[in-house]
Amino acid sequence: MCLFITKNNNSTIQKLNRRTVVTGLVLAALFVIVGNLVFSYALETLDIQAELLELTGENLLTAPFPEYIIPGLEENVWASILLGIAATFAIFAVTLLVARLLRKRE
Amino acid sequence: MHIPDGFLSPAIAIITFAVTIVFWMISFRKVKNNLDESQVPIMGLLTALFFAAQMMNYPIVGGTTAHLLGSASLGIILGPFAGCISMTIILVLQCLLFGDGGITALGSNALNMGIIGVFTPALSLMVLSKVSKSKGLFLVWVFIAAFLGDVLGAIAAGVELGLSVPTFQYGLSIAVPAMAINHSVIGVIEGVVTVVLIATLLELRPDVLSKSPVLKNILSPHDANQSKT
Repeated sequence: MCLFITKNNNSTIQKLNRRTVVTGLVLAALFVIVGNLVFSYALETLDIQAELLELTGENLLTAPFPEYIIPGLEENVWASILLGIAATFAIFAVTLLVARLLRKRE
Repeated sequence: MHIPDGFLSPAIAIITFAVTIVFWMISFRKVKNNLDESQVPIMGLLTALFFAAQMMNYPIVGGTTAHLLGSASLGIILGPFAGCISMTIILVLQCLLFGDGGITALGSNALNMGIIGVFTPALSLMVLSKVSKSKGLFLVWVFIAAFLGDVLGAIAAGVELGLSVPTFQYGLSIAVPAMAINHSVIGVIEGVVTVVLIATLLELRPDVLSKSPVLKNILSPHDANQSKT
């Protein structure tokens, strides 16, 4: 009986987690779309201060997708959205991998 | 709030890296073998969600923009140590893939957003909840904790930049207020978002919050175990 309850609870948690994860990932994809279409303009306090000091703020490493843009597709906002969504899923996968390695083992 | 390469003096970059490495080691040690199986997908989800949320830049004061950090939610829901690891994953990938934040400033960015931004809300919520255990005040404490995390993270960035005088010539008197004032606006938004997220989870997935090292001692067993499903 006790085992049944435990199994049942685990499967409920798994189902709940699956639904929560799917909802959350859809929400994350929406954030990426809104971020690219509506809230894309970025001018942070640091940018203004750096501009006044004539600091370039160029990074030492060359990033493959600088400023969240695919090189050659700078004007294509949907390419940036796809990149953002792919990166979001990649971060989900990387974190899952790290968390699985760190998780408590029965 | 992502500091690029070339803004920090070498001494500040090295000191912040050293402090951050210590926190990374402690966090991995604390989380290893303590993270509950059911927290694994939630950790992945929240990390992805706040990476995406950081892509939205909100207009704040003086024509400038700022984005959410998500550090408060990560610190409160996952606990500060797992939250620190989540934020680190975001910052490392942002730095390596998108050039958002410099590699020499990674220690500083992780310290501001992944340590101060994560630990401050978690610890302040635990302290505030001891002041009053009133259920009505709980979400007020969450708001204050999230606000403090954002503002203190920004102040820390201002201090690091202000102390990097040879490269960033403004000094503390300009860098700290500039970062604090602008980020207090986004701190309010961070507070609201954190409250909405935690109130939603409390309503729909209290079991997720019951696993939180921060919330499990704050929420009553009734709040933590009640699920509508």
